[in-house]
Amino acid sequence: MKDNKVEKLRKEYMDVSIPEELDFVVKKALKEGKRDFKKKQYNKKLRAITTSAAAVTVIFTVAINTSQVFANTLSRVPVVSSIVKVLTINEHIINEDRYNADIKTPAIEGLENQDLQNSLNEKYIEENEKLYDAFIADMEALKENGGGNLGIDSGYEIKTDTDRILSIGRYVVNTAGSSSTTLKYDTIDKEKEVLITLPSLFKGDSYIEIISRNIKQQMKEAMEADEHIHYWIEEEIEELNFHKIDEDQNFYINNEYQLVISFDKYDVAPGYMGTVEFVIPTEILQDILVSNGYIRQ
Amino acid sequence: MHQSKRKGKLALMARSNIEKEIEAYILDNKEMHYRLAYSYVKNKEDALDIVQESICKSISSMESLKELTYIKTWFYKIIVNTSLDFLRKRKRLIIGDEDFLATYDGGVVDHYEDIDLQKSLEDLPDNYRSIIILRYFEDLKIKEIAEILDENINTIKARLYKALEKLRIKMND
Repeated sequence: MKDNKVEKLRKEYMDVSIPEELDFVVKKALKEGKRDFKKKQYNKKLRAITTSAAAVTVIFTVAINTSQVFANTLSRVPVVSSIVKVLTINEHIINEDRYNADIKTPAIEGLENQDLQNSLNEKYIEENEKLYDAFIADMEALKENGGGNLGIDSGYEIKTDTDRILSIGRYVVNTAGSSSTTLKYDTIDKEKEVLITLPSLFKGDSYIEIISRNIKQQMKEAMEADEHIHYWIEEEIEELNFHKIDEDQNFYINNEYQLVISFDKYDVAPGYMGTVEFVIPTEILQDILVSNGYIRQ
Repeated sequence: MHQSKRKGKLALMARSNIEKEIEAYILDNKEMHYRLAYSYVKNKEDALDIVQESICKSISSMESLKELTYIKTWFYKIIVNTSLDFLRKRKRLIIGDEDFLATYDGGVVDHYEDIDLQKSLEDLPDNYRSIIILRYFEDLKIKEIAEILDENINTIKARLYKALEKLRIKMND
């Protein structure tokens, strides 16, 4: 009797039809997985090199930040209106039955620091051209193999735009049966016209440990408060677990002068959690901040 | 100095071999993996999502695979955990009978008795259902199931026994 039932269930199980996209999804995931793995290895090496670059940036930013008086004075000077703005300079659109792409490229205008402005704008164009080319290649491959669905949506949002700070977030959402999302932020000091890096905000590198500890705490609390929230901190697969932020972890500064740390989909949580971000309380950072020029209570 | 350089090279070669083996395994068994994921989430889009996520996870954590002989249990473990994570999240989104209905949207309307049987399998708690699936549908050994689910062999045996009991009791209702 038991065997008969189990056999029936087994048959149902084996009868599940295999969707035509499976092959494509598998191959694409392999490609993505390998790319992420290489990136991880590469970043390990690169980090050693960029530490020195970061050190140089610190010197620049320190000059602005160290003078508390200077910073306060600046914030009290009424700025007539911010002339730095962000606009869309290019948009790729594909609108076919099963293939959809919308790739918007932002451009920053109004900075006097042309080097900074150009390097950011060139980066935006270059990255989006790559996205577009990759999409076209995938689409052609899919069409050759009899089709499937494919979508990409990329654009930007202004996270913060105060007299002092401009934070632009650029997102990429890929859909191919499944979806992945990445977000990248650039935060600019509009007055000093410099790009603010995460290490430049802090004295030394203790910030990595301090911020990471706080994030893990926040993750734990959120999971305890809501059983549907899940972060990878106590996983059986040790490799999944979040241990600490990258030295140059994605971040922005919000309108309340708080530091916000951001993670891509799958970085620290299962896919359903999407991209996640954590507001870091300023009081735990106070002692290690270079100044309160950007981040304050 | 030379010694360590050579060691590093050997390690690299070994890893690229492992990478190739994993890739071949994933390509060869994609349909099995899809079915396993599907058995948890019961719809195409989510099952594909889980297959995709599991592959990404496996590649980026391939250093955790110690020996190629364990590749199957290693990969199954990733799929099972990814599926369970997904279900945990979805629980709050399910309203009423929608899930039940969605489950049988796939054209099984002809044989009602199978639906009852299916339903009793669906009704099992996840950790019992996993055991039935892995033991009877995927033909894994109790020992392998214990590895995948991170439980000891006796726990698996006890749960398997109880799961079969429950399936029978449900059917007699």
